[in-house]
Amino acid sequence: MIPALCLEGVSFSYGTVPALENLSLSIAPGERVALLGRNGAGKSTVVRLVAGLQRPDQGTVWVGDWDTRGCVPEQLAWRVATVFQHADQQLFARTVRDDVSFGPRALGVGEREVERRTDRALEDLDLTVHAGHHPYDLPPALRKLAALAGALALEPALLVLDEPTIGLDRALRARVTRALLDRSAGSVALLVITHDLTFAAETLERGLVLDCGSLACDESLAGLLGDAKRLEPLGLAPPPVAALSAALDLPGRPVRAADVATALARVARGKPAP
Amino acid sequence: MSRLHPFTLLAIAGALPALAWILAAPVGGGWTATVALALTLTPGASPRVTSTGSSPGWRPGLVVLRTAVLTVAPFWLFLLLLHDVPTTIAIGLRITTMVASFVWLVATLEPARLVEAMVAAGWSASVAYLLAATLSAVPLLKARAQRIVEAQRCRGLSPRGGIGARLRALRALALPLVLSALHEVDERALALETRGLVPGIRRTPLAPPPDPAVERAVRWVLLLACLFALVRRFVVPGFS
Amino acid sequence: MRSLTLDRASFWYPAAESPALRGVSLDVAQGEVVALVGALGAGASTLLLVAADLAPRVTGGRLAGSVARHDRSGIVLPTPWTQSSGMAFTVWDEIAFGPANLGWPAHEIARQVDRALEQLQLAALKSRDPATLSGGELQRVIIAAILAMDPGLVLFDEPAAELDAETAGLLWRLIRLLASEGKAVLLATSALDAVPDVADRVVWLEDGAIRAVGTPDLLADVAACDAGLGTSVATVWRAGGLPAPYPLTVTHAVQRWQ
Repeated sequence: MIPALCLEGVSFSYGTVPALENLSLSIAPGERVALLGRNGAGKSTVVRLVAGLQRPDQGTVWVGDWDTRGCVPEQLAWRVATVFQHADQQLFARTVRDDVSFGPRALGVGEREVERRTDRALEDLDLTVHAGHHPYDLPPALRKLAALAGALALEPALLVLDEPTIGLDRALRARVTRALLDRSAGSVALLVITHDLTFAAETLERGLVLDCGSLACDESLAGLLGDAKRLEPLGLAPPPVAALSAALDLPGRPVRAADVATALARVARGKPAP
Repeated sequence: MSRLHPFTLLAIAGALPALAWILAAPVGGGWTATVALALTLTPGASPRVTSTGSSPGWRPGLVVLRTAVLTVAPFWLFLLLLHDVPTTIAIGLRITTMVASFVWLVATLEPARLVEAMVAAGWSASVAYLLAATLSAVPLLKARAQRIVEAQRCRGLSPRGGIGARLRALRALALPLVLSALHEVDERALALETRGLVPGIRRTPLAPPPDPAVERAVRWVLLLACLFALVRRFVVPGFS
Repeated sequence: MRSLTLDRASFWYPAAESPALRGVSLDVAQGEVVALVGALGAGASTLLLVAADLAPRVTGGRLAGSVARHDRSGIVLPTPWTQSSGMAFTVWDEIAFGPANLGWPAHEIARQVDRALEQLQLAALKSRDPATLSGGELQRVIIAAILAMDPGLVLFDEPAAELDAETAGLLWRLIRLLASEGKAVLLATSALDAVPDVADRVVWLEDGAIRAVGTPDLLADVAACDAGLGTSVATVWRAGGLPAPYPLTVTHAVQRWQ
C-alpha cells in the first residue's frame, strides 16, 4: 500500500540556517501521528514541505505517489489539507458556510458534492448552528474551528495540522478529537504538530519527535508518553494522566483519560478496603 | 543609503515630488522621475532577506523598482483614457516621481531610526510612533499577505486562470488581509499602550542616528532649490 | 501590602448590553500569585485589562465600582504578535523599547534588558530580527519586554499558549521568582495542570462574576470538575468512580493511592 506521506532523506535550510537534516519518515493511510519537539526543532518546516510551499534541498517528499517537486500547493490540495497556525486569519467569506465550502469549490468539485462535504465538515465540529454567521462575529476559538472545518471539507487523504488546539478550551478540544478520530476511521492520515501532549494522548497514536532537525524518536505514544526519562532530554514532559498511569503502575500503562479511568476503577475495586 | 539620517531621506523623498510639480513639464518631471526611479535601484533600497526565503526570479535590487512600476502603471492607464498624450506624459511623470519617491522611502527608511531621530530632535514619542507606525505597517502587512496567499493556495486556490478566476483569487487574498488587519487595529492600539507610551515622558534615545554636517547642508540645499524653483516659476513670468 | 484592589467592579464594553464583569471584588498582594480560571469568555481577559488601566481608558466602555493600583502594571496580552513594536530590528531593541519609552537612563535600560534576556533565556536570540521568530520565541520576547519595564504588578493573559513544555516550565518558575521578589502577579490561564505549582490563590470566574476563590485545591472540587475546570488528575480520578476528595496532582494521587 502506498503511504499517505513519505519523506526520504529530506534536508532543508533557510538560506544558511539548517532546518532539517536527512529526515525520513512514512505515514500509512488512517495513521494518526503526532509531530513533537521543541520550538525550532523543524516541525513547521516539515509542514511547509508537505504542503508544497517549499522544495527540499535534498531528498524527496512523497504525498501519496506525487513527488512535491513536480507539484504546486494548489495541486497538492487534492491530496493534503493543511491548517497553519493563526488559520483564523485566512477566513474571508460572508458566512462560515461559504468559507468552509471555498476549498472544495476551488478544487472544482460539483455543487452537490461541495454541499455534502461542507455539511459534513460543519457537523463534525458542531458548527452547523454558526453556519450562517460572519466569521468575524465568532469568538477566536470558534474561528479556529471554522478554519479546521475548511480543511476537513477538502476531504483529503492526509490532514496536516499545526497546533490545532491553541486557544481552545477542554470542550472544544474534545470536539476536535472526535472529528479527527472520525476522519481517521475513514482512512484519512493525520499529521499533527502539537505541544499539548494531553490532546496528543487522546487523539493520536504514534509520536515522531524532532530534535534539531532530525528524527530523535519514532514510536507509539502509548509507550512514549509515560516515560519521563525519554521525554525530558527532548524538551517534553509526560502529560499528567500518563504520568499518573506510570506513577500508579496501572496495568497496561494506558495514556488516554478514559482508559486510565477504567483502569483506576478496576484496580480500586480489586484493592482491599483501607 | 539607509545609513543616511532619516530627515535626509525624508527631505529627498519630499523634494523630488515637489520639484516635479514645480518645474516645467515635461522636462522637469522627466528629470525627477528618472532620479526617483534610479534611487529605487540603490543597494540600500533592497529588502532584507528573511529567514523564510525570498521569492526567486527577481534580483533583490529590482524588487523596489518593480513595486514602483507596478503601482504607477494603473495611473498611466487612466491618464491615457482621460487626456491627450502630452498632458498624460506631463502628469504621468509627476505621479511617477511621487510614487517612486514614496516607495523608495518606505524601503529605505527604518521606522526605528526615524523614531530615534525625531525624539533626538525634540519631537514627542507619540507623534514619532504615529509616523513610524505607518511605515512599519507595510512589512507587517506584506508578511501577513504572504501567509494568507500560502494558506489559500493550500486550499486549492490557483493564482492562474482567466479573468473571473483571478478576480475570485484576489477576493480570497485581499479580504482576509483587510479584515484581519482591521480587526487587529484595536488590538495594536492597545498593545502600544502596554509598551510604556505615557504622555509627558521623554523617550530615551537608544541609538540616535548620526547627523553629519554634510547631510544637514544637503537638506538645506534641497529646501532652497525647491524655493528657488518656486520663485522662478511663479514670480518670474515667461517660464511655464 | 496590596498591589491591586478591585471593589465591586463592573465593566461594559462599548455598545454592549450585558457587562463583561459583574461586581468583581478582588485584591492581589505583593508577593502573591493569583490565577484566574474559567470558561472561554468568562471575563478573565477583561479583568486583566481593567487591572492594567487599559479598560475603559483605551478600550472605551463603562466601568462601575472602583479599581485601586499601588504599583505600575505591565500586561502580557494573549496575542504577542500584536504587542510587538514592529519597529525593532533586533530582539535586544524590542525589549529595550518599553524602558526607553519610560525615559530611563541608558545604563538602567541596558541593565533591565540584560536581566530580562537572562530570565527568559533569550541571550542566544538577542541579535535576531523579531520578524523571523517563531510564535513561541516571540511570546518569550514579549514577556521579557514587559518584565524589562520592571512593573510592580505583572498581568499575564495565557502566557504559555504558544510555548513548548520546556519553555512553559521556565515561565512558571519565573513567575514564582517574580513573586518572591515582591511583585504581585495576576495570571489568566487555561493550563489548569500547572496552576497548583504556580498560584497561591485561584479565582474562578463565571459569566463575568466570581464564582469561587480559594487555594489551588479548588481545582479538585466536585463543582470545578463538573464545570470542566478540574485538573487532569482530579478529572480522571472522578471519571474512574473513585471517591472525593479528588487528588489535585500526580503526587497527591500517589499519596491517596497508598
